Amino acid sequence: MSSTLPTSVDHNFDVTGRAGVRTLLASEWTKLRSVRSTWISLAVIVVGGIGFAALFSWVFANHWAQSGVADRAQFDPVRISQAGSFVTEIVVGVLGALVITSEYSTGSIRTTVASVPHRPAIAVAKGLILAVSLFVVTQITAFISFFVSEAVLLASGGHQVPVGETIAQQIRSTSVPVVSISQAGVAPAIFRAALFLTLMGLLSLGFGLIVRNTAGTIALFVVLILVVPLLIQLLPSSIRDHIQPYLPSNLGTAMASQTSQHTDFAGTLLAPWIASIWVVAYVAISLVAGTVLLSRRDA
Amino acid sequence: MITAHSLSKSYGSTLAVNDLSFEVREGVVTGFLGPNGSGKSTTMRMILGLDHPSKGSVTIGGRAYHDLRWPLREVGALIDAKAVHPGRSARNHLLSVAQSNSIPTKRVDEVLELVGLAAVAKKKVGKFSLGMGQRLGIAGALLGDPGVLLFDEPINGLDPEGILWVRNLLKQLATEGRTIFYSSHLMSEMSQTATDLVVIGKGSLIADTTVDNFIESHTVATVSVRTPDPAGLRAAVERAGGQIEAGDDGELLVTGIDAASVGDAAHGAQVALHELTPVKASLEEVFMELTSSSAEYQSGLPGASS
Repeated sequence: MSSTLPTSVDHNFDVTGRAGVRTLLASEWTKLRSVRSTWISLAVIVVGGIGFAALFSWVFANHWAQSGVADRAQFDPVRISQAGSFVTEIVVGVLGALVITSEYSTGSIRTTVASVPHRPAIAVAKGLILAVSLFVVTQITAFISFFVSEAVLLASGGHQVPVGETIAQQIRSTSVPVVSISQAGVAPAIFRAALFLTLMGLLSLGFGLIVRNTAGTIALFVVLILVVPLLIQLLPSSIRDHIQPYLPSNLGTAMASQTSQHTDFAGTLLAPWIASIWVVAYVAISLVAGTVLLSRRDA
Repeated sequence: MITAHSLSKSYGSTLAVNDLSFEVREGVVTGFLGPNGSGKSTTMRMILGLDHPSKGSVTIGGRAYHDLRWPLREVGALIDAKAVHPGRSARNHLLSVAQSNSIPTKRVDEVLELVGLAAVAKKKVGKFSLGMGQRLGIAGALLGDPGVLLFDEPINGLDPEGILWVRNLLKQLATEGRTIFYSSHLMSEMSQTATDLVVIGKGSLIADTTVDNFIESHTVATVSVRTPDPAGLRAAVERAGGQIEAGDDGELLVTGIDAASVGDAAHGAQVALHELTPVKASLEEVFMELTSSSAEYQSGLPGASS
């Protein structure tokens, strides 16, 4: 296009390539980093994660002597270090929703779709940018939280637990048990705890693609995470026990556990890697449904 | 060039766009005129592949929008200037759009300069006035230096200086050989800016012609006359083949013959004239008349080429 306007646009640019996932990654990253809500959310994840790890570790360590058998049996030094997850779960849900619903509320989704008419690319690029951002932040936070928790437990009189200590020994123990990162199963449990949070962000992105409205998406997410577990509690146990292990909140707890030895106590949790597969399946369903709807519906 | 073939869009039982066919050619500003709610925005969205047509198709230079490799380098659009995250700066907004089509970052600064927003580039869009928002929308449309540009009501919210700026910009862009499709609900705006005209009402095509043709074929020439002898003039005008009716305040309105014929007829009948003025119905009136009655949409009107 010959033009009297100044232009740095080369119209013979890359005639074989096309606007798609690759170009959208830069675009989506610019969008994510250029709004304040992203940075507030990520700050809450880091501060909340580390803060709650320190707080709950301190409380448990100082109340070990008064703790009963059930409390002691269920105590898991890895899970306590990830106590902030309950807050982070909601934060990643909001962030995952906003990545797409803010485009619907402002109408900028039309600009995005006009930029890249192949719509699945939009869902893929948004998912990748969200996943990488959440993965980095939640993994770093999870491991820092663990080390902070370990330090607090040791400083409050905790004792290093030998590998393979049984629940029976844990119940008899006179001080709070502490595990080290090098012990078998510890690092993978922390990794899965953070991975669960990344996956919850993606689940919410899928909901956002389906619902297309910020309030509706966050409501759906919160109902699933917080309200559905309470409703299930009302069911008779013969039904309840079959549903509970598959609720996202319980799958999250299962993923954050070191082994099924710890998790099986209440009989409601799946083995950690099985739980991971279920969560990935939920996320896949939500994202695929959202992507199909994005392609079919008018933008 | 934009070509629409029997484009239709229905939402449930509502027909928003009905069997619309038209062409928008290069090198001129083509006005897209219709009352609010007549289907202009829906048509624009279908051109951009945002809304899927219920029937028919639309192509840009012979290709569907979906098949464009770098859409923003070929088609620029201002659909809704407010459609920007209010918490994002103007520059970051444009940067994100540019990156999606691998448009150089340098171009972002060029278009900001071009629309006069360079000084507020880092300001949050939520703090922009309506006029600044429109300028940002236009900057976004120009990012890829595209050969085809769509502007949906670009002068909404602009001050007189801004309106003039948009008009001149559109004309300049057309002079450069680009295809400019420009929607407005204001007939007066079209007559100022556009060369070609696509007129729709309730989703159907009313006219696909030039602005001059449209005015000519839809404007009924009226002659305003004052005379001390209305009865004599009436007889003379009717003999000459015109019709006459009383207007306000002793004014008589003659249609069917032009001012010269009215004067000649009066002279022949020795009727004195105190006033003889050719009057053209305003474009606004013509447009209102054309688009107000639903019966007229269904019958192809004179001037509507198909």
